[in-house]
Amino acid sequence: MGKILEVNDINVYYNQIHAIRDVSLEVNEGEIVALIGANGAGKSTTLRTISGLLRSKTGSIIFDGEDISKVDAYKLVSRGLSQVPEGRRIFLQMTVQENLDMGAFTRKDGIKESMRAVFEQFPRLKERRNQVAGTLSGGEQQMLAMGRAIMSRPKLLMLDEPSMGLSPILVQQVFDIIKLLHESGTTILLVEQNAEMALEIADRAYVLESGSIKLSGTGAELAASEEIKKAYLGG
Amino acid sequence: MNLLTNLINGIGLGSVYAIIALGYTMVYGIAKMLNFAHGDVIMVGAYMCFCATTYLNLPVPAAILIAMVVCTVLGVLIEGLAYKPLRRAGSLAVLITAIGVSYFLQNMALLIWGSAPKTFTSVVPFGAVSLFGGELIISWETIITVLANIVIMIGLALFTKMSRTGKAMRAVSEDKDAAELMGINVNKTISITFAIGSALAAIAGVLLCSSYPVLMPTTGSMPGIKAFTAAVFGGIGSIPGAMLGGLLLGIIEIFAKSYISTQLSDAIVFGVLIVVLLVKPTGLLGKKIAEKV
Repeated sequence: MGKILEVNDINVYYNQIHAIRDVSLEVNEGEIVALIGANGAGKSTTLRTISGLLRSKTGSIIFDGEDISKVDAYKLVSRGLSQVPEGRRIFLQMTVQENLDMGAFTRKDGIKESMRAVFEQFPRLKERRNQVAGTLSGGEQQMLAMGRAIMSRPKLLMLDEPSMGLSPILVQQVFDIIKLLHESGTTILLVEQNAEMALEIADRAYVLESGSIKLSGTGAELAASEEIKKAYLGG
Repeated sequence: MNLLTNLINGIGLGSVYAIIALGYTMVYGIAKMLNFAHGDVIMVGAYMCFCATTYLNLPVPAAILIAMVVCTVLGVLIEGLAYKPLRRAGSLAVLITAIGVSYFLQNMALLIWGSAPKTFTSVVPFGAVSLFGGELIISWETIITVLANIVIMIGLALFTKMSRTGKAMRAVSEDKDAAELMGINVNKTISITFAIGSALAAIAGVLLCSSYPVLMPTTGSMPGIKAFTAAVFGGIGSIPGAMLGGLLLGIIEIFAKSYISTQLSDAIVFGVLIVVLLVKPTGLLGKKIAEKV
């Protein structure tokens, strides 16, 4: 099992604020790795730095054997890195089908097959393929955001708070889909505030607190840790 | 017949406004900025066409092509040199820069071509069409302007709907970060938008000066402001809005000129804008989409 992603000692600043301090983490091929922590701990900032939307002042980000810490964000998609951003960020004025087309923007062939696969996974999207995305429900929009990310056929799929703002039933659905994606061979880096569910499906996890990694271990280890129970699992 | 003549002239003038408004609205949609130098690009386009036909004796199609190429390059240069460094800056800084670029272009034109107005020779070699025994006269300039407007509108609608670049433009105009995460080169897409808007400005300049043949360094600024008004009127950021806003503005202006007062026509045009914005702040076709959480 090779390493697909290796983040070494990154430090990210928003103007004067030191948002991420010496964060290092790694993801092996085939894993689900969760990054959990409270609101404002720096989870999204970490993901946005990996995907190139933000820059680290130090360290390196090795993806698939190459340092990507200076590469433009838009060039990373064709290398196999895909991110579902926080708040879904689908194109509300475009149709479902057009959103999925945008997911495959950097691809030249096999788009039809991928589209079929996405529609198989998310039959609701197929029913609504010609509908403008802004008219979808919150849960459907999350499905679309995930389908759109899958359209690029990523080696590593990064999900930023996929359960945010969804009802418990929909949250369960989203996590089932993550499991399915993982079983079909996609490596996943999952950022979640819902620590309980994230730890349940994660092979390994990191706990982020005030911009630094506080703990790491397997999902089961962390779920059993007293410290985690007290701070994040409400017990 | 008088009414019909005015209506047709209004549609002709409105078509020019619509073509200029497209440049404003596309750039606003994608870069969220008001490119106040857009009107002056029109003036540069008209001068280029004038020079190519007058000094180089080139045929009209070649002259128009040269004007379009020069304006396209100019638009991309303006964006790259003046606006791109300000991508993360506040909107006020960008606005002031745009006004600066506008004055820069006007003064460059003043240096190169002087302040004396040039008489622009119409690019349309035919006279006018006379209908109903001479009661209704439509100039060929008007006919060609209206046709050009229709072709451009259909072309742009198809381009943004069907083409890869057109879809990328729509994606960038909705959400830059999300577009970047799809693998879209946002900077390149913005440059392409400026290129298209500026090429259209060249066409608008040639058409405008063919109907109103006085060409000087400030020729572009008033039509530029009116077209900006048209874009806001129709709903800034909306391509059909630019079309509708431009046509209505042209018709209102011509009607105001012939039935109310020549001096007051501009005041009436802007007055109508104010009323529309009071009643519908997003403009006639402006959209407001509620985000679902």
